[in-house]
Amino acid sequence: MREIIRLVVVLSLICGVAAAALTGVRYSLEKRIERQSDFYVRGPALERLFNQPAVQLLGNKINFMTSNRVYSVFYTKSGDDVTGLAIEAPGAGGYGGDIILMVAVDLASDQMTGMEIIQHSETPGVGSRVEKVSFRNQWAGLSVSEPVKLRSQGGQIDAISGATYSSKAVVNGTNQIIELMSGHRDEIIAAIKSKGNG
Amino acid sequence: MKFKQVLLHGLWKDLPPFRLVLGLCPALAITSSAEKGLGMGLAATFVLIFSNTFISALRKSIPDKVRIASYIVIIATLVVLVEMSMKAFFFPLSQQLGIYIPLIVVNCIILGRAEAFASRNPVFLSMTDGLSVGIGFTISLTLVGSIREILGAGTWFGMSLFGASFEPFGFMVEAPGAFLCLGLLLGLMNAYSRKRGEMFIQS
Repeated sequence: MREIIRLVVVLSLICGVAAAALTGVRYSLEKRIERQSDFYVRGPALERLFNQPAVQLLGNKINFMTSNRVYSVFYTKSGDDVTGLAIEAPGAGGYGGDIILMVAVDLASDQMTGMEIIQHSETPGVGSRVEKVSFRNQWAGLSVSEPVKLRSQGGQIDAISGATYSSKAVVNGTNQIIELMSGHRDEIIAAIKSKGNG
Repeated sequence: MKFKQVLLHGLWKDLPPFRLVLGLCPALAITSSAEKGLGMGLAATFVLIFSNTFISALRKSIPDKVRIASYIVIIATLVVLVEMSMKAFFFPLSQQLGIYIPLIVVNCIILGRAEAFASRNPVFLSMTDGLSVGIGFTISLTLVGSIREILGAGTWFGMSLFGASFEPFGFMVEAPGAFLCLGLLLGLMNAYSRKRGEMFIQS
């Protein structure tokens, strides 16, 4: 009995110290990591999606809260009108966890203009091919009014061969954005406008 | 005397990954350029030094039955620390190494040194052991990375070496090139060891 207690206490202590150390470091580095990831990943992705320099776009950001999640939403404006959105969402079901992706939507035509992968932990050389232009190009011109599906389920997207899970995760993420757009489109635009005025 | 032995053993006698033949996964996977090899080596060295230090310091209080679990918790914590610091300070490199940074947790060299050395030697010696093996690992990975990058891309640490007329041997930066390069180096090293009369395969 005494031995068991000792095992439990020692292991718990080690885990406790480890958790405390990780929390501390994460807390102190979080802002820096966020900035780096804006500079190296989100910036270039936004540049490709909107054809504008990243410096302007990175500032155009709101955090939009729904009942269960916070979404990062970037936008472009012409004059006072919001012309385009780029919404970031996690695609559940990847082989190595969620795939974080960003979809750009043109508000005039209600069509997607592109998709970018922000972060993933897929198998190198297999699932990581979701980053390839040939896969991402399929998003240009998709409508935001109906859910996206893989071609094997009667949809529009060709999955990457050998990486069905990863392809499915990206589709899931896209559908989450479509759902957000259909339910909260006007709220998002209002939030952006109120940010601009205030 | 003991100290000097521990300090130098990781550089030839137990040189990873060649002599230990452990840690081959990162050695094959990320050595497509010298920079990636160096980055991976340094990350692993950091984890090795500190995991050896902590495990050695705690070796008398960790009960035998939960030692592997305790080692893994310590190693995993250090790896996540490295991962976060790399993202904060060397973001492009962390993007290139990607999944292989978190995978340091299961790098056999680190658990191997913890179990074979740090769990039965004093703190300072264990730290030295981590440093020695870590530096050996870094040198090996940088060497393999350099060879593959120079032959396969005609560059070294991103600097162009031969000018535009050089036709790179692209095979070397692909996965099969890693096996070829590592195998040839291992063979050369064994041949050299045998010539010097050393035991050419670890007993």
